[in-house]
Amino acid sequence: MGTVRTTASGIPVPVCAGPSTVAPGLEDRLGEPGGFPFTRGLHEVMYRERPWTIRQLAGFGSAADTNERYRLLLRQGATGINGVFDYPSLRAFGSDDERAASDVGRGGVAVDVIDDFEDLFAGIPLADVSVSLVSSQPIGAVPHLAMYLRAAQRRGVDLHQLAGTSQNDFLMETAITIAPLALPPQASFRLECDLVEFATLHLPRWNPLSVTGYNYREAGAEAPLEMALVLAHGRAVACELIRRGHAPEAFLPRLSFFLCAHNDFFEEIAKFRAIRRMWSHWVRDELGVADERCQRFRFHTQTSGVTNVSRFAHVNIARSALQALAAVMGGTQSLHVNGYDEALSIPTEHAALTALRTQYVLLHESGVASATDPLGGSWLVEHLTDEIEQAAEQVLAQIETHGGIVASTENGWVHRELARQAFDHQRALEDGTRLVVGVNTQLEGPDEQPAPFPLPSGTVEGQRARIATVLERRDSGRAEQALACLAEVCRSDENVMDAALRAVDADVTLGEFGQVFRSALGTWEFPLW
Amino acid sequence: MVTPLEGRKAVIAKLGMDAHWRGAIVIANALRDAGMEVVYLGHVTPAELAVVVVQEDPILIGLSALSGNHLTEVPAVLDALASHGVGDIAVVVGGAIPDPDAASLLERGVAGVFPTGSALGPLLDDLARIVSEREARGSLADELPR
Repeated sequence: MGTVRTTASGIPVPVCAGPSTVAPGLEDRLGEPGGFPFTRGLHEVMYRERPWTIRQLAGFGSAADTNERYRLLLRQGATGINGVFDYPSLRAFGSDDERAASDVGRGGVAVDVIDDFEDLFAGIPLADVSVSLVSSQPIGAVPHLAMYLRAAQRRGVDLHQLAGTSQNDFLMETAITIAPLALPPQASFRLECDLVEFATLHLPRWNPLSVTGYNYREAGAEAPLEMALVLAHGRAVACELIRRGHAPEAFLPRLSFFLCAHNDFFEEIAKFRAIRRMWSHWVRDELGVADERCQRFRFHTQTSGVTNVSRFAHVNIARSALQALAAVMGGTQSLHVNGYDEALSIPTEHAALTALRTQYVLLHESGVASATDPLGGSWLVEHLTDEIEQAAEQVLAQIETHGGIVASTENGWVHRELARQAFDHQRALEDGTRLVVGVNTQLEGPDEQPAPFPLPSGTVEGQRARIATVLERRDSGRAEQALACLAEVCRSDENVMDAALRAVDADVTLGEFGQVFRSALGTWEFPLW
Repeated sequence: MVTPLEGRKAVIAKLGMDAHWRGAIVIANALRDAGMEVVYLGHVTPAELAVVVVQEDPILIGLSALSGNHLTEVPAVLDALASHGVGDIAVVVGGAIPDPDAASLLERGVAGVFPTGSALGPLLDDLARIVSEREARGSLADELPR
């Protein structure tokens, strides 16, 4: 039989699965594609009717620089925008903040004032193209959305026409990514739910949340923990919106999710299938919601950045293509494929377009887009789907034991689990249990490292000048009043979004938003070490 | 066998607004397993880091950089350490560091650069070597007449 082999997450893999490998009752666990429990996909006819959205992440330098990249990707066949912000902007720090200077325009676009949102989307038809704002942290997501909405309205686009997503995930702020002066989990979760609530009432085509399992995975989670954190988080938001008096039918169809496509091909496909089933069961059985539109687990997928290696960087094209194939065979709604050079820098134009074209190879050349749930009925994949579902259920139970997702973050359980699994993964590389080309095997041979993407210069200076222009032109009394009002709303239990929109009308800057949130809601040292 | 790392102190820090903690925490764990005392600081400015280094007197400073801010922040750290009189402590950098940048950081005085995908075993060997060399240099300096 050989030695025991396991998936990347430690699930034993049968050498050759057969009918007896799969537990009885499979038909009930599968249903039909497009129907409960959605194991086989959200639609009866998947990509034949409508291909997944080709949504390549982009963002660097100034709004004008990034607008150019958006337009290039759209011209070359991208079908949605996936806009990422730089590190200071994600956290609502101004580009003029001393701590921000070295990261302005890095890893995303710098935004400080509403003018940046106007420039970012110049010439892009906002009523037609869906725009994902990778505003991962609620402290930034709230002002980003307020600025985006006002910028769209100034161009004559109505709020009900706007299609897109705010990532808006409190775990990103309090566990997954670090920054100075993070908000406490409860406060960040509250801002997140405020945005969801506002969109429920005013933005019928907007996904106000994209639960960021991708980043949970990248921070160290194995697949079952990724799934459990996503599900526990989605449940917590649903319960909070219900507590605030909203009917599940009003908001559940707009909740969206974001998963990682990691290396282990069959395990990842099993993960996508199992998590759809788990979510729909919870909505139907626990919330008692029969409307199938509410039971659908809609998700975006990104190929795994941490699996990319700087040595022999072009090999990352093969890794990403296999991961993307798993995402498509798992029934994703939209997809980003990483650039081969992202272990070194943000992608060059060449790397970004190669990634984009990888999606078209899958769509047009591979044939996988012709059939719905092509691996349904595979003994191995059905077995792994059941196994990973059970593994994720066990982690979910642990999260419940620790008081739910917000409390598990406050008490450091989430951080400890992520760090432990990240370290276990590293140890498996060290002892050779896992082999990775260019890391612990296949090390010999010449390697020409691709030249890193040259970031445009002058972004910090440009942003500082922009902030100065806005401070100069605005009615300072009105801005101060708007800031005071925002602070007061933060200290109450009122939804912050209206006050945020009024602050944008008064030309309040992103950095000022951040200062108000941090002083009114407090900050928190997160328990990583 | 006692390695040069055992019982010694390392300070690990993130700079600027770089959001990635995984690498820094994995290394912090590995150093602790190798017997080091690890002080993990999270985000600091170069000046804040220098103050901590003066207080803690580590044998090694590990900086983690994955946002691309390394060419600005790392030299600023070296300058801050020098101006606080602790410029002789070994500084190593890990993260998304392209080869040309690694060369320029080494030239600037960094003792080691470990790009993404570096294996822990060789990395710990390198750190042990760096620490031994610094100590040899330090004890030599102690013997010189002042």
